[in-house]
Amino acid sequence: MTSRPILLVEDNPDDVALTLRALKKNNILNPISVATDGAEALKILFDADHADPTGPGLILLDLKLPKVDGLEVLHRIRGDERTKLVPVVVLTSSKLEEDILSSYRNGANAYVRKPVNFAEFAEAIKTVGLFWLLLNEPVPD
Amino acid sequence: MSRDRASARLFSAIVNSSDDAIVGESLDGMITSWNPAAEGMYGYAAAEIIGRPATVLCAPCGEGEGRETLARIGRGEHVPHYETYRRRKDGTDFPASVTVSPIRDEAGRLIGASSITRDVTEQAHARTAAEVLHRADDLRRANGSLESFTYSVSHDLRAPLRAMSGFSTALLEEYGDVLGEDGRGYAGRIVAASEHMAALIDNLLRLSRLSRTEMHLDPVDLGAESAQIAAELQDADPGRLTRFTIQRPVQVQADRALMRMVMHNLLGNAWKFTSGRDDALIEFGTTPAGDAPVCYYVRDNGAGFDPAYSHKLFSPFQRLHAASEFPGTGIGLAIVQLIVERHGGRVWAEGAVGSGATFYFTLDEEEST
Repeated sequence: MTSRPILLVEDNPDDVALTLRALKKNNILNPISVATDGAEALKILFDADHADPTGPGLILLDLKLPKVDGLEVLHRIRGDERTKLVPVVVLTSSKLEEDILSSYRNGANAYVRKPVNFAEFAEAIKTVGLFWLLLNEPVPD
Repeated sequence: MSRDRASARLFSAIVNSSDDAIVGESLDGMITSWNPAAEGMYGYAAAEIIGRPATVLCAPCGEGEGRETLARIGRGEHVPHYETYRRRKDGTDFPASVTVSPIRDEAGRLIGASSITRDVTEQAHARTAAEVLHRADDLRRANGSLESFTYSVSHDLRAPLRAMSGFSTALLEEYGDVLGEDGRGYAGRIVAASEHMAALIDNLLRLSRLSRTEMHLDPVDLGAESAQIAAELQDADPGRLTRFTIQRPVQVQADRALMRMVMHNLLGNAWKFTSGRDDALIEFGTTPAGDAPVCYYVRDNGAGFDPAYSHKLFSPFQRLHAASEFPGTGIGLAIVQLIVERHGGRVWAEGAVGSGATFYFTLDEEEST
């Protein structure tokens, strides 16, 4: 499994805790950085002082975020040389057609609706994590 | 004298060439004069209408108004022009703007009244069109706020539920032994309740989306759809002994996906409420109905319902059975009603406790297809 970090962009602390728990339960032990709003996500990704030199191997992105919303973050990620090929999985409560469509239009690799039931939620996180970090062949460095 | 004659001729020329109906009537309400425009507007020739009561020109909703106006004129009151409905010879009505003024003899005594009537059908249409546009605008605005409401329902209401379910599960998994049996039971209830509420929210969203999706009418065989749904129900619970009697074909003109949802809900309910019976029987068929060309029904011999509450069956989230007995979110029949009404039909139910239920519906009552 690649040990490149996961960037979790999520403003709801409960969802952050549940996502971290689900990753841990499924033995996905990559380092994880958490951005609790869109502006912080952009800072972690692009600000020289904050940016991780290796860059994330996977970005889990919520859509409804304070300050800079998820779609805008996605747009910026795809518009920048350093991040345009990083897998982005939109992880949200919404299953509105508009949200799904605009996520794909902005270059999301996948769109997953967070289930309410924790067992299903953990299963979803596990599937996403295993696929993008283990099964999927990443872009060569 | 010749000046009088000249002015009389002029007056008569104005009356005869007017586009408005100009009608004279005597004090007792009989028609005394009738211009060509009146003939065009009402369809009566002067010869057949003069001498008849002016009330024949009033539509039922304007009856009495003529007599009252005449009485006011008689008292010397000024009557401002007003809008009303008038009736043509062929029995059809039209919106009219009417001005009534007194006719006096040389001594100034009141001898009758003349009314000038203008057909305002076009203005009325224009007004209706403006109202429709205004209403459409209101609807668009309401739909916009419904859209953002839907968004927050789908997004914001689910997040706390996920936390409730997630952290109760965490308690169970990590502190289950400390909680004891009762504690584990309580945490389990929180998990179940949050999932139930998530299902309610999803159904509410489905209901709100249903009322806005576009319909595509195609020929649909309700019998074939029912048979397929029956097979799916049987497959999901192969141990159950249930007899289905399904009339085929039952051709209708309807939106296939929506009608499938109707049949799915009705047959699924019948399936659910007959679960306690070894001799369960579920029927789908058609029957002649009073005012509709045909009426469709789904009948079962299951738990039935108390007819005293039948009016509540179709309200969202109304349930007539305990969730422990028959699970559900109480949205299925509200969805059925919404879809049937969007097809121009009605749905109603008959039943009694312990002796089954029959759900009837019609489609497109206006058109007899």
